[in-house]
Amino acid sequence: MVRYQQGDFIAATALIDRISPRLHRFFVAQSLSRANADDLLQETWLRIHKIRHTYRPGEPALPWFFAIARHIRIDHYRKFVRISTRERELEEMSKEVGAVPHEGSTVSELESLLAPLAPSQREVITMLKIEGMSLEEVARATSSSVGSVKQKVHRAYKKLREKIGTRSGTRGSGGLS
Amino acid sequence: MKDEGIDNILKKASQGSQDLDPRVLKHIGEAIKPSLHPVRPLPPVWLMSLGLIAICVVISVAGAARAGFFGIAKMNGLERSLVFPVLALLACLTAISFVHQMIPASRSYVSPARLLLLCCLALFADFAYLFRDYHTDHFFSVGIVCLAVGLLHAIPAGLCSWLLLRRGFAANFVTAGLAAGTLAGLAGVGMLELHCPNFQAAHILFWHIAVLPASAALGALLGWAYRLLMQREDGRPL
Repeated sequence: MVRYQQGDFIAATALIDRISPRLHRFFVAQSLSRANADDLLQETWLRIHKIRHTYRPGEPALPWFFAIARHIRIDHYRKFVRISTRERELEEMSKEVGAVPHEGSTVSELESLLAPLAPSQREVITMLKIEGMSLEEVARATSSSVGSVKQKVHRAYKKLREKIGTRSGTRGSGGLS
Repeated sequence: MKDEGIDNILKKASQGSQDLDPRVLKHIGEAIKPSLHPVRPLPPVWLMSLGLIAICVVISVAGAARAGFFGIAKMNGLERSLVFPVLALLACLTAISFVHQMIPASRSYVSPARLLLLCCLALFADFAYLFRDYHTDHFFSVGIVCLAVGLLHAIPAGLCSWLLLRRGFAANFVTAGLAAGTLAGLAGVGMLELHCPNFQAAHILFWHIAVLPASAALGALLGWAYRLLMQREDGRPL
């Protein structure tokens, strides 16, 4: 990261190769389509590049990347809400016609597993359990306290336990296989 | 099911998630290459905090010097030793909080909203202990002037603070604005304590402390407006 700040292109590409899959997985886990996740990843890197001087050498880099990715996702969500409110009528019309599934709109196992969680719980679970970040790092990335992160994880696990229990119960009764 | 079982299911599900297209990575690399030049990292937190405190002190003292140091002149030793150190301590905490708000993923121990509450309560307790003149003369007409004067000094303090930290990046504009507003409000309260000779408890407890939430609300509002502006600019068609 320090070499990237010093303008080293090889270090920058190495960083992009190493961090991007994690950020992409983070966006996909937030119930975004693959195309949207790709767009947000590019937007995140442009922002990272613009504010790379705000990273302080010696500090953990992963929370810094995820804090920016989270900011971009929230911005995207707000834009989405604004646009969807304006275009509700158009969406209703397209529903009547019958929506054509886009490439990449298939729901992955991870997305379907995290679907019942609130967005804040989803992002905490993704960072902590999938990306392997520590509680302290997640707290930094989400601008919250370690206690708040623990509480979100606890509530998320409660929901996940219910969902997995229901799913295995349905499977047992021959509903899904 | 135990937590370990859920952990394993999550790990398995994430392994099966879609891979990232290498063309996207190549595109990102190409996009940043032309502007890849060395950058100077932000200064240490303590240095930026010190700069913010200096701005607040300069604006408070300059304002009081222009209007007159009547307040500090009327105070006794105990009042001086309990009002200004408490204000300085709160300004230090708020300056550090504001700096952390302007650095992504920076460790912050207390949220700006809680810090605002802490500042208001600490000043209330401090002033309630020191100022025990319970008469109220011209409560509204005199008080509104103090509130306006405090805010008039808070605005330049807030603007200068924002200018000092302009290289930072606020992940949340509203909370960053709230922290900046609280710090600016403390500069306004500091100016009033140096200048205002009205030691009536009701006046100080209500109108002087009111500068703090008013300035913080203004800061949060500006942060919110700035965020809206940024979103509109981002959403504007090319």
